[in-house]
Amino acid sequence: MMMRQLRSELWKLFGKKRTYIGFGMLLLAQGIVTLVFRYTQASRGAVRALETNGYEASAYVSALTIAVVMLFPIAYILLPLYLALVGGDLVAKEAEDGTLRMILARPISRVRLLAVKWLAGVAFSLLLVGMLGVTGLGLASLFFPQGGLFVFVPGELFTVLEPGPGLGRYAAAHAVLCLKAITVLSLAFLFSCLNVKPAAATILALSVLFVNAILMQIPFFRDLQPWFLTYHLNLWQSMFAQPIPWWRLTESAFLLFGFNASFCLVGAMIFQARDIKS
Amino acid sequence: MTDALVETRNLGKRFGARTVLDGVSMTVSRGEIVGLLGHNGAGKSTLIGMLLGQVWPSAGEVRVCGCDVTRDRQGALAKVGAIFESPAFYDYLSGWRNLEILAGYSGPTTPARLREVIEWVGLSGREGSPVRTYSHGMRARLALAQALLPGPELLILDEPGDGLDPEGTHEMRRTIRRLRDQLRLTILLSSHQLGEVEMLCDRIAVLSRGRKVFEGSLDDTRRQESWVRLKTDDFAAAASELQDAGWIVGVRGTDRVLPADGMGTDGMVRWLVARGRPVYEIAVETASLEEFYLKLMGERKEPEAP
Repeated sequence: MMMRQLRSELWKLFGKKRTYIGFGMLLLAQGIVTLVFRYTQASRGAVRALETNGYEASAYVSALTIAVVMLFPIAYILLPLYLALVGGDLVAKEAEDGTLRMILARPISRVRLLAVKWLAGVAFSLLLVGMLGVTGLGLASLFFPQGGLFVFVPGELFTVLEPGPGLGRYAAAHAVLCLKAITVLSLAFLFSCLNVKPAAATILALSVLFVNAILMQIPFFRDLQPWFLTYHLNLWQSMFAQPIPWWRLTESAFLLFGFNASFCLVGAMIFQARDIKS
Repeated sequence: MTDALVETRNLGKRFGARTVLDGVSMTVSRGEIVGLLGHNGAGKSTLIGMLLGQVWPSAGEVRVCGCDVTRDRQGALAKVGAIFESPAFYDYLSGWRNLEILAGYSGPTTPARLREVIEWVGLSGREGSPVRTYSHGMRARLALAQALLPGPELLILDEPGDGLDPEGTHEMRRTIRRLRDQLRLTILLSSHQLGEVEMLCDRIAVLSRGRKVFEGSLDDTRRQESWVRLKTDDFAAAASELQDAGWIVGVRGTDRVLPADGMGTDGMVRWLVARGRPVYEIAVETASLEEFYLKLMGERKEPEAP
């Protein structure tokens, strides 16, 4: 029964054109980044950083490195944007369109309805992150040779890995990125349970993320970074660290599970108490 | 088997400081078609929302199919279908897919059952088209199909004829009759169209400003006040004599009298003729539901501030 209802939610979600905006825009962004790195001098900084440290740049300015380069801006900006859009729609769009009233004329509990909606959102998040990884590497492979992985974030990361371990880290980073994707979706889902328009739910979720990110960068809050949601959302990045900070990773993962549970619980309590009117 | 499929007791609802329903008790028994009437904002949709567990009561109790809706919503709605004014669908999906999705929230539904219901409502051949290509009438039929899928005993119709053209309204009326005659459904029909209610319903309940101001059969509405058309040689004098003798309690215009309780027209005629007043015509005028309703609403209007 639960599977049938989940299937219905997936039909609804993937039947809408706006669901594919995220896939389309991510693909476009990846294409632009690939072309910029292929046909401009954008990779010059990476080459210099590698050569300064005694590496042969041509072995590491590879499809894998470019795929990671494009992953950073997408994971920070575009991915949360589209997940907030879909998460904000999940309940609020149905309430706005009037279909929620049609559903709630049926003998399904509100909590169960939310559960299947959230699961459909999780499926979307996993698919989006999976696509991000596959198309990123695929597009980069069209214009760059296979090779090792070089990740450079000034002051944070300087990692050079051979192709095999590099690909493993790339896959692991995407696996951990799924947790960020699900958390952002859950945050938007929480706001979607309020009696608000879908756009308002999306904007509220993005506002929470942006305010978190901005506050975290203020020097006064530097020591308090672990208290911010965005600090933990970026744990996928630590999969590129050498060595991997497993303690921080585990701690952040547990906290994100807690955030997800809290968002869903609060959303369910709000939704359960709400009067659904036309 | 529960006889009352809908039962509300002292049902109340407040939205903040505003009371939208106040102490509403009503019953819909198995097999009945009950009309729910009231002006805009009278509380009809809120009451229907409460029956479906979409709006939580602030006070009182609501039971559907023998189950308390606030405690056992799933049990209460297991055999209930509902149609709302301007039914909403997933326009980008086909009619068939919409039915599959909505039926999935009630329980397992076989493709054979889907086909059966689609045929019953007359949508065969169009079930594969996206709902955005449907006319208003087809959407109304799709709404009916989704309501019928769980094999309901009770159908709740919230202004189902709104927005339909005359042909659509006629078809909807015919369909409601079929629902009762062929499927033996119990129906609660909220409507502004008094003619429709008069033609279809066995009983009515009237809400005004959140309170129930009438519940009874259509015969009761007719019995409430039956004026008599009387034509005689001198109506004013005859009316005055009838009133003095206690035969009537009211006079309207130049030819209408309101008999006192228990006073029949035959006795009135004999009494007038015995006093030498010729009676050219006498006929009981049954009040239409519209007249009854307007009078009821008129009585409930608050006096205007001086």
